[in-house]
Amino acid sequence: MTNGWVDIKNTDMMLIMGGNPAENHPCGFKWAIEAKRNRNARMIVVDPRFTRTASTADMFVQIRAGADIAFLGGMIRYAIENNRIAREYVVNYTNAAFLVEQGFKTAEDGVFSGFNEANNTYDRSSWNYQGAKTSPAAMPESAKVDLTLEDPNCVYQQLKKHYSRYTPEMVEQITGIPRDQFLKAADLFTSIRKDGDMKKAATIIYAVGWTQHSFGTQIIRTAAMLQLLLGNIGRAGGGVNALRGHSNIQGATDIAGIFDNLPGYLKVPRVEDTNFDAWMKRITPVSSKPDAWQSFNYWSNTPKFAVSLLKSMYGAAAAKENHWAFDYLPKVDREYSWTHIFDDMYQGKIQGMLAFGMNAVAIGPNSQKNIDALKKAKFLVVCDIYPEETSDFWRAPGVTPEQTKAIQTEVYRLPGAGFAEKDGTFVNSARWLQWKWAAVPTPGDAMLDHAILARIFLSVRDLYRKEGGAFPDPILNLTWNYTIPGNPSLSEVAKELNGRDLATGQQLPGFAALKDDGTTSCGNWIWCGSWTEAGALTQRRDNSDPSGLGAHPNWAWSWPMNRRVLYNRASCDVSGKPWDASRPQIWWNEAQQKWAGNDVPDFKVDSPPKDHMGPFIMNAEGVGRIFAPLAAFADGPFPEFYEPTESPVENALHPKRSKNPVATRRRSDMDKFATTGDGFNIVCTTYRLTEHYHYWTKNNPMNVQLVPEPFVEIPMELAADLGIKGGDKVKVSSARSIYLAKAMVTHRIKPMNIGGKKVYQIGIPIHWGYRGIKEDEGLTPRTLVNSLSPAVTDPNAFTPEFKGFMVKLEKA
Amino acid sequence: MTGAAMSNGVLQIKAISGHAGPVPGRDTSRDYTVAKLIDVTTCIGCKACEVACLEWNGYPFRETTFDNTYQTMPDTAWNYYNLIRFNEHVAEDGTLSWLMRKDGCLHCADPGCLRACPADGAIVQYANGIVDFHQEHCIGCQYCVSGCPFNIPKFNAETKKVHKCTLCSDRVGAGLEPACIKACPTGCLHFGTKDDMKELAEKRAAQLREHTSHTSAGVYDPPGVGGTHVMYVLHDIEHPERYGGLPKNPAIPILVRIWKGPLKWLGNAAIIGGILGAAIHYLRFGPKKEGAHGD
Amino acid sequence: MIERYPFRERICHWTTGLAYLYCLATGLAFYSPYLFWLAVILGGGPSSRFWHPIIGLVFVMAAMWMHRIWRGDVRMGPGDREWLDKAKYYATNEDDKVPPAGKFNAGQKVFYWAMYYGAILLVFSGAVMWFPELMPGSLGWIRPLAIFLHEGAALITIGAFIIHVYMGVFMVPGSVDAMLHGFVTKDWARAHHRLWFHQKTGE
Repeated sequence: MTNGWVDIKNTDMMLIMGGNPAENHPCGFKWAIEAKRNRNARMIVVDPRFTRTASTADMFVQIRAGADIAFLGGMIRYAIENNRIAREYVVNYTNAAFLVEQGFKTAEDGVFSGFNEANNTYDRSSWNYQGAKTSPAAMPESAKVDLTLEDPNCVYQQLKKHYSRYTPEMVEQITGIPRDQFLKAADLFTSIRKDGDMKKAATIIYAVGWTQHSFGTQIIRTAAMLQLLLGNIGRAGGGVNALRGHSNIQGATDIAGIFDNLPGYLKVPRVEDTNFDAWMKRITPVSSKPDAWQSFNYWSNTPKFAVSLLKSMYGAAAAKENHWAFDYLPKVDREYSWTHIFDDMYQGKIQGMLAFGMNAVAIGPNSQKNIDALKKAKFLVVCDIYPEETSDFWRAPGVTPEQTKAIQTEVYRLPGAGFAEKDGTFVNSARWLQWKWAAVPTPGDAMLDHAILARIFLSVRDLYRKEGGAFPDPILNLTWNYTIPGNPSLSEVAKELNGRDLATGQQLPGFAALKDDGTTSCGNWIWCGSWTEAGALTQRRDNSDPSGLGAHPNWAWSWPMNRRVLYNRASCDVSGKPWDASRPQIWWNEAQQKWAGNDVPDFKVDSPPKDHMGPFIMNAEGVGRIFAPLAAFADGPFPEFYEPTESPVENALHPKRSKNPVATRRRSDMDKFATTGDGFNIVCTTYRLTEHYHYWTKNNPMNVQLVPEPFVEIPMELAADLGIKGGDKVKVSSARSIYLAKAMVTHRIKPMNIGGKKVYQIGIPIHWGYRGIKEDEGLTPRTLVNSLSPAVTDPNAFTPEFKGFMVKLEKA
Repeated sequence: MTGAAMSNGVLQIKAISGHAGPVPGRDTSRDYTVAKLIDVTTCIGCKACEVACLEWNGYPFRETTFDNTYQTMPDTAWNYYNLIRFNEHVAEDGTLSWLMRKDGCLHCADPGCLRACPADGAIVQYANGIVDFHQEHCIGCQYCVSGCPFNIPKFNAETKKVHKCTLCSDRVGAGLEPACIKACPTGCLHFGTKDDMKELAEKRAAQLREHTSHTSAGVYDPPGVGGTHVMYVLHDIEHPERYGGLPKNPAIPILVRIWKGPLKWLGNAAIIGGILGAAIHYLRFGPKKEGAHGD
Repeated sequence: MIERYPFRERICHWTTGLAYLYCLATGLAFYSPYLFWLAVILGGGPSSRFWHPIIGLVFVMAAMWMHRIWRGDVRMGPGDREWLDKAKYYATNEDDKVPPAGKFNAGQKVFYWAMYYGAILLVFSGAVMWFPELMPGSLGWIRPLAIFLHEGAALITIGAFIIHVYMGVFMVPGSVDAMLHGFVTKDWARAHHRLWFHQKTGE
């Protein structure tokens, strides 16, 4: 989230799309309700289904799953056409005025300039500002701008051109949302900028309903662009707000739960980074801005973050002489995302897996392939608190006892700990690191997950000590100075992550103190400041809120440096005065010559407004990117609508280029895809329920009581067509597999008219599998929803397309 | 409204079912009564209240089966006081609403259950408005079921006792809010004095009428049962029946009222009159004599 | 002495009567808070609630048995109309103005039928009240109706019962004795049930 949970209460307008917070974030949703109750905030919910969130909304719009970019693109066009944009904000705080390379061409025919048909890749050199060197491609240090936004090559004009095709009629044709309804929604959402008024703020709230598409990143970007145009980023009650799906998924992301990151979102070294300096040169941006403006370009500090990380990992073994032990770091040669890992295992390239804190088989996609991949592995270690689908993959439905005997995979099941049995922090969607204490001890033989990992590490290290091995140094030199090496205390780990001054031994006060000379260590620069000499700020529990804006400055600690709203410099006009005096976040204090206020300024505190430093300090430009230059995104500097990999129709914008050309499809004999017209003609989307938590709670009688059995939500009309009544058993099949459940026949999904074609959508909650209370009693069909979903991923974030694939439905 | 302000010491009794003579503490006047407010327009049907209710009351989780709805089960049960009712409503113009209403005892000011109950002390109405069942005095006749216009009291066939929501009288008596209130994540549930809750409810309804499309929003505090200590804010006060059978003008059933009113007095008169009549007759005419005919 | 009530009839009568008394006492306890002490002295509210319908069933079964025995004797006959017309003389002990009666006079027959139909109403309404939880929700209105009918029927039988006890114990000496021992004197029989007396003795 750019903002935070509590901050939602400050909003005047909510667009909730690609998320269902009432059901999946019910506690956080209270702030949306607060905004409605206290500010008469309006809520627009756009979803393929009428959800529990929709039940509290002012307006519900049913969209075809996967058509989000068309809807948001239409909103951008509407805002521009109807002059509902924040002009001063757009000119000064975004790259709208920047001039784009002459050679750049938007995707009117489905691809941007530089597309290579032969291997479906882009040469992205034309996706740049004017005046840049082309080899190696980099942004120009001095960017040309046209502050009147009139130049046909300026970002604003390019944007206008790009989205001119997203007319209300086109939106209707793609999304199935009737033109009038779309116009009503667009008018309502952009009404906060009616007549140039800057006081109100609108927020966009989303979750995995946006990420789980073969173009998920670009949906979110479209939302960010819309918010930049409306001047909503940095504002209390504004922002683009990702609701994370687990209590600590934000923490997992921060600490590099993704193969292409190191902790703190440092880009991982690649094979071509032959030494530390080359790596730093590649990943440290140089500011690129109009000459008259300033750019803080905070990522220019990347070497400080990187050296401190390496010092934290390897201690004395990381020295200037050995380039901070750069050679110890693994270099990424290809993609290692979820679907890649299972594809590699299925192809025999990966022979073993340690599965901690997730149910690898069930969370799919294409679960059957994952099961078959595990059959080929040599070993599988699963650490969980329940027997689950992954550790029991050898007795998935359809595996005969003979086949089970033939499976040679050695399976180890380790009893891990539940969340209430661990100390440590959760990082919530609002980036708050909140420390919590174990409520109960681990039962029986169960152990804390990190203690299990520590013991595995120590054993591996012993093996390297004894046997040497190909490259023992990174293992032998890894810092491991915990009081109890086999069970490190999490406060020790937390302090290590915050980092310390190696000369004085003191905890660092914040990442501004990080150095690139090897005198500081820090495990994750964005968390630096969370456990200082003042103690564990993550443990603070003062819920006072002096400003009334929900900043709660002394409650826990949020990264970066306890800032509650990111980019909050943009909450002020160019002269440094808040856009809305009733919600002052920060402001320029002329007397003290610094920025101050109710939140920690996300800015260089002593940079006066006259210097025109851009508020978006993490961008080399200093401004928000409406146009994302160069390699920022694999699939284009502006989001373009593409059909999901499986869709009922061809792309109305460019029928010959229907799908995202650079989306990653796994290719194996088990990766089958439906094509338009081969009988899989129902759009299927998957989701979670309030009553269940992923694949866990089917083991908990309380949750099982609330929703006992798997079901499929089916529109009334479709059920009538197929003679299905509520409670009937139904079979859903995709090109890959089948799913069995009972029918929930409902008014809440309506048939849609997509470009003249009647299209039905159905929805399936994901929570069941073949282990659990009802499953073990033989009371459920024991199939997995993700057997249906395709292993196609977004080219930027590698998230699979769990939403909007094609199925058949019949009575079972 | 804080819990401490509400409790003000122990629960004081206002009325007792099946009780002869004066009720201890009946004349105690309290400055306020308590009330729960359910703002249906902000309910998200998360069922946290259902679970909190079960856990506070120590009831077991139960076997349920899929029934083409998000609703946990068709009706409340003796050990399941609190049930969110899910109803899809399609308006004439095709607009869909998905109504979620937390069903449970409304704690009527004039409780039909208490009126109908014959067992001394089985149903107690506290001066703060809570209507509570005391199972140790319940005789299992289930008259209360007939007396309730909301189909709330539920019978445990095993123990022959009737149960219903207690409004967490045990918590409220100790200065705490009911368990469901504590669990509600959206602030759809409020607890405080009846006056405060009524004011809050009316304000919310006015806000809905003024600022949203719910121009018929209103507060459900039905006068037919003397008002209730559990109130609803409804999107459409004209159609409470859309929320899973909430009656529009609930009242204690007419037969129960005749039974406990005129019939009672008629019966009393007949019994006492019969006995008196016999006595007078005896004194006046005495016993029959054999051989009155002279043979 | 003439045998008026053979052993079988006496057993039947007292079974019915005692069962009725129990139901009356417990029923009155549920009827009025001021009489709830009746339930308390009879073992407490819950046990009264438990036994009331069972004893009620005993009452009804005994009453059906009684009906088998006496149905011939309680059938309204041609003279009964006249008896009823002149019942006020019976009430004022001017028995010479009242037509002679058979085994049971018309007043007793009226009492009998009041109890008989009362028992039928009580058993059916009582059945609903015994297991109200088995009543489907859509038939919920039957519950208060059953209570209403049960109480109404009970009041009718109570009225009749008061007269019956008064007559038997106070107004017609020898009746209790007859129901206890089975025999009445000739004088008693002649005085109160002359037709029956004639039929029995041939006098």
